Amino acid sequence: MGSPASWQNIGRHALLPEARHDEIARLDVIAHLNAYVAERLGPKVREAWDNRASGDWRTRHGREAVDRYEVAEAMANEPAYQVYSLVRRNTMEYRQLVGRQIVGRQAETLRDRARALNASGDTLRLDPAFRPPRYVSAVEQHLMRGGYTAELLEDDVSNPANYDAGLYATIGGSGGPWSNAAGRALVDWLRREYPAFVPQRILDLGCGLGHNTLPLREAFPRAQIVAIDAAAPMLRYGHARARSLGVDDIEFVQGDAADTQLPSGSFDLVFTTMVLHETSRQALPKIFAEAHRLLRAGGLTIHLEQPTYRGLEPFEQFMRDWDGRFNNEPFWSALHESDLPAMLERVGFGRDEVFETRCVAPAWQCSERQEDFGRAPAWYAVGAWRAANGIAAIG
Amino acid sequence: MDHSLPFDANPTQPAATAAAGCRPDSPQFTDDPMVDRLYGVTLALVAELAVTRTRLDALERVLAGRGLVGEQDVDQYRADGSVQQERSRLHAEYLQRVLQSLG
Repeated sequence: MGSPASWQNIGRHALLPEARHDEIARLDVIAHLNAYVAERLGPKVREAWDNRASGDWRTRHGREAVDRYEVAEAMANEPAYQVYSLVRRNTMEYRQLVGRQIVGRQAETLRDRARALNASGDTLRLDPAFRPPRYVSAVEQHLMRGGYTAELLEDDVSNPANYDAGLYATIGGSGGPWSNAAGRALVDWLRREYPAFVPQRILDLGCGLGHNTLPLREAFPRAQIVAIDAAAPMLRYGHARARSLGVDDIEFVQGDAADTQLPSGSFDLVFTTMVLHETSRQALPKIFAEAHRLLRAGGLTIHLEQPTYRGLEPFEQFMRDWDGRFNNEPFWSALHESDLPAMLERVGFGRDEVFETRCVAPAWQCSERQEDFGRAPAWYAVGAWRAANGIAAIG
Repeated sequence: MDHSLPFDANPTQPAATAAAGCRPDSPQFTDDPMVDRLYGVTLALVAELAVTRTRLDALERVLAGRGLVGEQDVDQYRADGSVQQERSRLHAEYLQRVLQSLG
């Protein structure tokens, strides 16, 4: 069994909350509890399904369970699933509380540091008149109190600081010291599959903390990079974090991924990492359409996410749906059921330009930990090339 | 020592929540809500005991490293007034973590 990395190994930057001895111990317990859920309790749920619940369902209904709803019904009273869910949910609640306690006592200090780092230049562009979409402002995503837009004090960065510190524990350090595995996975995929593709203008939609934006800066040092997010606290934190790490030329801009106000045809690469599941049924096609509008001929849009449910056996869908049911991710289930390639076609990409693939984070990487139903450093990706003059692009 | 007094544990500070926030009631995973709550408390205790054991381990290693062992010292130690106050705050914070699932 792989062992999660201690929080002591997290990458340091000026905005990272200070954690004391016992707080680090708490974060490390969270990582171990999550590993335990994935590696010990998850397989027991599978056993319960294989050895008992699937057969009981067959006996009662005279046929196999055909979808995740039927599996959920068959599994609802299975002790193995109840225990799995209880431990997983309580660990998430505990993780959020521990993060709030760590950040709460230093909220002003972190805010002041962010202010100092963000004071000069024009690369952080917040719009006080901007109203974030409701799927951002009205949801406490993954049980995070107040959600991405919450401000407990003026120029607050508390929730992003909590998110940054806690994310490392939640994924047991599997994203590397900078929790940037998705960004690194995207870069690695581009280098391997399209070594000749060197984007000049890059747009990260829903950049959050900018974790996964920075690997693009490293990979394409001459590119202009714009990172958009709807939540001011995230942008303040992400911009200050990048600066404290020596990156001062990424533009962090407050805006709506579905209506960026940026010029048409102005980007070679438009991407998201783990963002689509936190949008909405109405917004998602608009975000894809916006990506299409923003791309130059020959440009690429690509979106890293958890695997689509399409083609997965019902039990696997049921397990992957846990976050949608119990981790306050209201669009999770609908997103993963959606036919994203078809959606990309509907917003204007040609059938031959749309693709699905898998992006895996290199190095730091992956211990031997088995797939843990939502947290492994490998992603499903869906994307499309914008045709160059009517001819299918590089893809 | 970890003597922090976070927003959540301090009744004079607002809780770290925003006005908005779609957050459905906690799900119930068993037929008996008391069982769900018991799990919540037990798991928090599991985590906090692990933290305590880690701290004791650190303390023993530090003391041993400096040749300052003190079984007797600990047994004979009595907290004075200010330490008692500190401990009282620590207990309030601790209970908040351990009993979170009770609401």
